[in-house]
Amino acid sequence: MTNNQIKTPKGNILVVDDTPENLYLLITILSEQGYEVHSANSGSQALSAVRSNSPDLILLDITMPGMDGYETCQCLKANEQTRDIPIIFISALNETFGKIKAFSVGGVDYITKPFQAKEVLVRVVTHINLRNVQKQLEAKNVQLQQEIVERKRAEEALQKTLTELRSTQFQLIQAEKLAALGQLIAGIAHEINTPLGAIRASIDNILASYKDMIASLPQLAQSIFTQENRLKLFTSLLEKASATKINLTSKEKRTLKRQLRQKLSNEHIEGASTLADTLTYMKMGENFEDLLPWLKDKEAVSIVKTARNFVSIQNNSSNITLAVDKASKVVFALRKFAHHDISGEKAELDLTDSIETVLTLYYNQIKQGTEVVKQYQTLPLVWCYTDEIHQVWTNIIHNALQAMDYKGKLTLKTVYSQDQVIISFTDTGCGIPDDIKERIFEPFFTTKERGEGSGLGLDIVKKIIDKHQGKIEVETEVGKGTTFRFFLNIK
Amino acid sequence: MSNRAILCVDDEAIVLESLVEQLEKRLGEEYIYETAETAEEGFEVIEELVNDNVDVLIIVSDWLMPGMKGDEFLIKVHQKFPGIVNVMLTGQADEEAIKRAKNLANLHACIFKPWSEEELVETIKTGLRKL
Repeated sequence: MTNNQIKTPKGNILVVDDTPENLYLLITILSEQGYEVHSANSGSQALSAVRSNSPDLILLDITMPGMDGYETCQCLKANEQTRDIPIIFISALNETFGKIKAFSVGGVDYITKPFQAKEVLVRVVTHINLRNVQKQLEAKNVQLQQEIVERKRAEEALQKTLTELRSTQFQLIQAEKLAALGQLIAGIAHEINTPLGAIRASIDNILASYKDMIASLPQLAQSIFTQENRLKLFTSLLEKASATKINLTSKEKRTLKRQLRQKLSNEHIEGASTLADTLTYMKMGENFEDLLPWLKDKEAVSIVKTARNFVSIQNNSSNITLAVDKASKVVFALRKFAHHDISGEKAELDLTDSIETVLTLYYNQIKQGTEVVKQYQTLPLVWCYTDEIHQVWTNIIHNALQAMDYKGKLTLKTVYSQDQVIISFTDTGCGIPDDIKERIFEPFFTTKERGEGSGLGLDIVKKIIDKHQGKIEVETEVGKGTTFRFFLNIK
Repeated sequence: MSNRAILCVDDEAIVLESLVEQLEKRLGEEYIYETAETAEEGFEVIEELVNDNVDVLIIVSDWLMPGMKGDEFLIKVHQKFPGIVNVMLTGQADEEAIKRAKNLANLHACIFKPWSEEELVETIKTGLRKL
């Protein structure tokens, strides 16, 4: 026996036997081998011993007064806390019947008395090992269960984060849309304010002319309508003015005025420059030759001026019509653009029309110096998410204009071939360098200054095209320009 | 023929037509009224008028035009003809451009579309008084 070693017991064993000599024998055999041994001399004592001290193994006599071994075993097996403790029956009974019963109540082994110490020990070792393995498995199981709980918690947290990220992404996309819309609106305000200005001024002019007309009625009645020549001049002027449909550019008007002034001076007609001015206003053009004789009348200038008021009402009215058309076009385009697909369903879309809608809204930016070339083929209607397709064209055109710094050429080409619609946008901008080319569709990747672009534009474009099961190709050359080509299936 | 001119520059014909008629009606035959649809044409018109010994007194110009914008146009005009009174009539405010025109073209005023006849005429009258 070694004094300086405190050995950890190889196991904790409970020995149950009503015969003291048997107990003593077993205790000795087992403790010599290093087991911690406890004893009980009856079934009930065994049950209480187990409660205070959970053994790894129980050696159980069968024939005992009071509760016999079988009963004790059954009690132990019935209790959740003790049912896993292996029980080895030790008994003088040697009948098969007894052994079968022993195993059926839950015993793991059966040793007949008288026994060999070695046999007992060997079986004890086996069952203690089994018990240890079982304990290890149980511990491992508990550990695994814990890990599963933790993993589940982590998964929930991740799920939550994913939901938050999705919601943030959606918000960012909405913000991007609003920002793009905000930029458009500045240009659109101009496109609407301009016609409004023309309308307001035209109406002022109409009212002023009308006032003058009323004021001139007496003169009309007395000196113009009473004289055939003057009446002829007056009515001819009005007829010619309403017959002309052509609108001249300011350059053409200037040239015409000069010519008229020259001609009238040559004919020694008074007030040549005023007349030239007024006749040009009334769109007389080349048609006034036959009026020449009447223009020599001393009242000619006054008659022409009076006629001018009538023509002014006509001119300003058609001006208003043009202005209203212009403003309507812009508003219509805006409505189409901002139309929200509440249904979230696809609709049949005329893709050429959708491009034109976006172009109208960008007219303001385009007219700053971009030439737009259109090579359109007739396209069939395509099933699309209308709202989102508009977004794609918007982002691409916006990028193209910026790349060209609003001066250059934008070529739009549509092709219909083999069940596919191919739409390409080519700009003459700065192009995309090779090292960046792979990254342009990455979310948040941008080459613009902070605040100028969110970097989501092309990411959004790609997502939308993916949603339509389409394809995007990019061709680019630094210093030359970039082409974005979209392939969409007719579905 | 008068030898004092007012020049209007705007790329939208509907604006030019109504604007010129408005000015003519309010300011009368004292002045010649000329129009141009681009900054480039504006330069041409000024040259022609100068050749005809006509003084260009005031320019009313839009800002957002194809090619050269209004502020650049007025600045260039001011460099060559510092005596001309410059007014911008625009549908869209670009603060930078207006500031530049004020500093480098001695911009007399900036009016926004849609404009009121009163405001425009008043502005031109005060501009003319400066001369």
